[in-house]
Amino acid sequence: MDNFIDRISISIQRGKIDANSPYPPDMKGEPGADELTREALQNGVAANDILTLAMIPAMGIVGELFKDKKLFVPQVLMSAKAMNSAMLHLKPYFTSGEIKQRGTFVIGTVSGDLHDIGKNLVSMMIEGSGWRVIDLGVDVKTERFIEAVQENPGCILGMSALLTTTMESMEKSVRQVRSNYPSQRILVGGAPLSKEFAFRIGADMYAPNPQVAVEYINSIA
Amino acid sequence: MSYTPRERVMAAMNLQKPDRVPLMCQFSIGSMMQQLKPSPAEFWYDGELFALGLVELCNRFDFDGILVSLHGHSPDWRDKVISFKELEEGRQELVFEDRQELHSWTDLPMVKYFDKAALKNIDDIDIDNDVPDVIDYIPVSQNLYFKIDKDHPFDIFVFLREMVGNTYSIHGEITSPFDYLLDLLGYEQGLISLIMNPEKCKQILQKFTDGITKLAVEMCKYDIDAIKISSPFAGMGFISPEHYQEFVLPYESQFIKKVREAGKHVYIHTCGHIDDRLELMQLSGASGLECLDPEPVGNVDLKDAFNRIGDKMFIKGNIDSVNSLLYASNEKAEEDVLKIIETGKSGKGFILSTACSIAPMVTEERLHILSKLAESAGKYS
Ligand code: B12
Repeated sequence: MDNFIDRISISIQRGKIDANSPYPPDMKGEPGADELTREALQNGVAANDILTLAMIPAMGIVGELFKDKKLFVPQVLMSAKAMNSAMLHLKPYFTSGEIKQRGTFVIGTVSGDLHDIGKNLVSMMIEGSGWRVIDLGVDVKTERFIEAVQENPGCILGMSALLTTTMESMEKSVRQVRSNYPSQRILVGGAPLSKEFAFRIGADMYAPNPQVAVEYINSIA
Repeated sequence: MSYTPRERVMAAMNLQKPDRVPLMCQFSIGSMMQQLKPSPAEFWYDGELFALGLVELCNRFDFDGILVSLHGHSPDWRDKVISFKELEEGRQELVFEDRQELHSWTDLPMVKYFDKAALKNIDDIDIDNDVPDVIDYIPVSQNLYFKIDKDHPFDIFVFLREMVGNTYSIHGEITSPFDYLLDLLGYEQGLISLIMNPEKCKQILQKFTDGITKLAVEMCKYDIDAIKISSPFAGMGFISPEHYQEFVLPYESQFIKKVREAGKHVYIHTCGHIDDRLELMQLSGASGLECLDPEPVGNVDLKDAFNRIGDKMFIKGNIDSVNSLLYASNEKAEEDVLKIIETGKSGKGFILSTACSIAPMVTEERLHILSKLAESAGKYS
């Protein structure tokens, strides 16, 4: 089992999707996260172990390296793709309830803002740490955030804003969600934000990068 | 000796010290709209109106130069408009055959295509047909392209010189081949393709570079002093220094060389974190670097940057438009700008500027501080 766990973990860390993928060059022709996960399940490795011992720690390592600027967006996207190829094999186990996600994380870029690269990376890393992620997309109006919170009781809500103009939309959305759902947990991020701004508008947490977001939501789950 | 604004900027770009630190920021379209409150669609499409706005802003804030972020305005733009609706003050909706556009005072136009073709897979890109020989558009933002009228690509530089004579330094802007690549493929496919299909990426980049070089060389025939290369995806927020060396540097260097041969200055605008690649950027042969965002948006320390590259390149920037201009108190704004002026003065070539463009909601009063401080604290003695 350890062998499978280690190999799946390494495939995800290195962004090795499947045997056909030419990346990374030194793993050419070798099986990737896709084949290894399938084989592991066939060989009796528990789905939950694949998730908690291989995938989550692997994405954690990727997140750390990204935070420290030792990995960059293309490599993170490859790791996320490798993770998704493994995740597909685990889907039936989620549906049957054999493995459980840590909770639901709803995320969107606020009204008027079309930047989604950072938000997508955050979604991928949070998904990789064992959460169900609902991505509302970009230019998300306050009403849509409220609806999503209503539809997913107990979720954690994430908002992204990259523009100073849309930081105002963020403030509006946070305050409105807060007034409807006073105990809703709200996490915000985006390059021009700061901790002070986040607290001033009533968010619970500001995360400058996905790794801090993962640590925060795992700490309160 | 007293300098004209143009001479001041030229001196800094030539790594010399003029009478005082020159001041020249680039406005985001949103900040131009906020300051001028023009008819937003006309301001976007009408080259003469845009030029008038640029001059008005330069005069109003005592800047030493004008960055022309859009060029190639078509005098016949109205011919293609099917409907033009005034929604409310400062908000207009335009319908064209293929798209609807919302123009407003707060931001760039938002565009919806009625039937936009999906992005092509990189394997299906036919370089001869899918990558243009002649660059006739600027990829401004998602879904937003500024069409360059092939009969009037550089008229705006003529209008501007007619208006300001020799007084101000005028700079053009060209978008990096790397940006055109990511626009063609979509950023996610584009960034993944650097890893999965590097050779095809390089072929696409080369074709874009050929077109961009022609555009830049033509631009140099006008009375401008410099070209800014807009290259926002080339920093640490996106790619490693190795990828920078492989996919950005060789291509930007090609047209930088041509611009330098044409006798104009050229500087690279890469926002965000770039501290790990300042020396690589210098290898491009560019005369200067713009932005140098400080923490938290970037990670450049101005003094350190001067020590590392300041002997060969001028530096333009370093004011954090959000944290030092928009949200700071008057005291903090002045303190931050003064510190930058002091450090900038100790370097060889320095132009005081916001790192990235001026954020839309920065007030008029705040912007006036810049020229006041450049005048009071920026003198070289
Ligand atoms: C790419 C980009 C674009 C692309 C967006 C493509 C896309 N699909 O997202 C396009 C070209 C469309 C674009 C358009 C515009 N942009 Co823009 N853009 C950028 C750019 C270059 C990079 C942003 C980015 O993706 N960074 C990389 C990602 C990985 O980092 P990130 O977004 O910061 O996300 C990280 C963290 O912040 C955090 N995070 C982000 N969101 C969240 C959410 C949560 C919940 C958490 C926990 C964490 C988190 O985690 C991420 C990973 O570490 C920046 C400049 C720069 N270099 O930073 C300008 C920038 C953000 N844009 C800017 C502007 C002004 C615009 C425009 C108005 C036009 C313009 N350039 O003049 C339009 C506005 C369109 C609109 N209405 O949204 C300004 C914003 C200034 C300001 N603060 O007001 C910037 C800073 C550049 C500048 N100064 O001119 N832009």
